[in-house]
Amino acid sequence: MESEQKKITVLLVEDDPGDQKLIKAAIPCQSCEISLSMVSSGEAALSYLEKTREQPRQFLMPNLILLDLNMPGMGGKEFLRRIKANEEFKAIPVVVVTTSDSETDIQECYALHAAGYIQKSAMPDEFSSVLQKLTRYWFSASAIMQH
Amino acid sequence: MDIYKTVMVMLVEDDPGDQKLIRMSLKDQRIANMPIVSPSAEEALEYLNANKSGDVQVNLPDLILLDLNMPGMGGKEFLRQIKSDPLLASIPIVILTTSDSDKDILESFKLQAAGYVKKPVSIADFQEVMRTLTDYWFTICRRITHEPDRENSKCLAG
Repeated sequence: MESEQKKITVLLVEDDPGDQKLIKAAIPCQSCEISLSMVSSGEAALSYLEKTREQPRQFLMPNLILLDLNMPGMGGKEFLRRIKANEEFKAIPVVVVTTSDSETDIQECYALHAAGYIQKSAMPDEFSSVLQKLTRYWFSASAIMQH
Repeated sequence: MDIYKTVMVMLVEDDPGDQKLIRMSLKDQRIANMPIVSPSAEEALEYLNANKSGDVQVNLPDLILLDLNMPGMGGKEFLRQIKSDPLLASIPIVILTTSDSDKDILESFKLQAAGYVKKPVSIADFQEVMRTLTDYWFTICRRITHEPDRENSKCLAG
């Protein structure tokens, strides 16, 4: 297994401060260096991504995006649609993390090439355990693009 | 740990040794159904497209594990075709390959692979990777229900 520290940048697109906090707490990884950026809307996420392109030394393009669906303004699905249509950003895996359990939302997100769909748990311990499995998959099992 | 009763995995892999290893690993992860194994991308496409002819109804897999390096149509072309077919594009595809080339990684993600796993060398590491993979895709991720009356095993992590 890799002995070198992986440097991973995660962009969290989430408007709920409670969920931001939970996700931030559950993200750290022992064998990698995580940098977490948080924005609270689809619009802000798009702006952030543009900045990574325009000022690559100051803003690192994320290796992974965690995306809430229900946000005011541009929702998660519209954001997903746009970045998957963008040649610069389409390769960034996007994992939906949402309260919605609608079959339509699940179907649409996978059709829009989401790389996973996780339903938020109301219970912090359970949610934390779910996030551990998410980070194990993305930070340890799967390769991600290094920038 | 729950048994994954309804999960269907498809493996697109030409090496018989790796086929066996992956099949055993999936069984160890308590996936009840035998995976659909295609030794080539062409065969895999044939299976996945079978429903279109109307003569046959096959179960679409919940997850495809895809080798990149295969004779004939390679993994990338298969990935490209599946992801541009509205009937099949929603199936998550995870690359499972010996290649750790940055170019292959980038291209796979550009083609909307939902993960890129370099095949571990040791069996123990392989089991570990398969456990992480099945935990992610079948325990924590919600899946699309292909058939309306099929049991939806949500299996939330305890």
